[in-house]
Amino acid sequence: MSDDTAQKELRFTRVFEAPRELVFQCMIDPDHLTHFWGPTGVRAPRERIVVDARPGGAFKTVMVNEADGGEYPTDAVYDEVRPPERLSWTEASSGMRVESDFVEVAPGRTEVRIRQYNVPEALASSDAQAGFLSSLDRFAAYLGTLA
Amino acid sequence: MTMTEERLDAAFAALADPTRRAILSRLSQGDATVNELAAPFTMSLPGISKHLKVLERSGLISRGRDAQFRPCHLEVDTLEGALDWIGAQRRVWEERFDKLDAHLRALQRTSIKRPRPGRTTPAGRSGKGSGT
Repeated sequence: MSDDTAQKELRFTRVFEAPRELVFQCMIDPDHLTHFWGPTGVRAPRERIVVDARPGGAFKTVMVNEADGGEYPTDAVYDEVRPPERLSWTEASSGMRVESDFVEVAPGRTEVRIRQYNVPEALASSDAQAGFLSSLDRFAAYLGTLA
Repeated sequence: MTMTEERLDAAFAALADPTRRAILSRLSQGDATVNELAAPFTMSLPGISKHLKVLERSGLISRGRDAQFRPCHLEVDTLEGALDWIGAQRRVWEERFDKLDAHLRALQRTSIKRPRPGRTTPAGRSGKGSGT
């Protein structure tokens, strides 16, 4: 809750009209993931998703751009798998860590909170300050008002 | 938009410092000399110059040839490249969440009502969420 913990990552939040168990299940089941893992215009083929949902287990996806066939594979390893409340993994190539918390905000309503750490890799090894990403977000918004 | 990863890393490292961000904000309003940039800060000219060197190396600013003043200029493309990266991350999750939302609705519709024959594909919401 403190500002300190709120400031060192990129955060994305969404509330879904669905029970927490179902939302969590969607995040670790390839049959579900294939429906939503690719953003707009990008497929995530079912047969290329690997989920071994336990700490140390693999989480692999390939996103395929529908327009040009370009492929974006991601290899990650699960750090935490605690149904139905928390899921986290680390991407092998970038070192980026993604944490997801599933919070029941009301019966049948679930808030998913995504946080990304170590973005991108070099940040961790540079003299980057904690807090810089969220302030960078504000900075982007500020510059947007100038443009 | 297309920046090498190396360049992006340098830009991110340069952006990590609040003084450097303040310098960039000032430059977004127009070119400025070192003296003009130093004015709002309680920092020595050499201190400011050090920050300017980091910014210049990262490609976020360039400096004029004028030997005496060497005005600093914001390289908007480099800055936008770095900011685009953050925007892209945000967009991926927003669009993913849009699809997950549709998927969850489809799942619950079919489990509450009688399962219908054929596939239920989540309605693809192509409408882009209005960004910032």
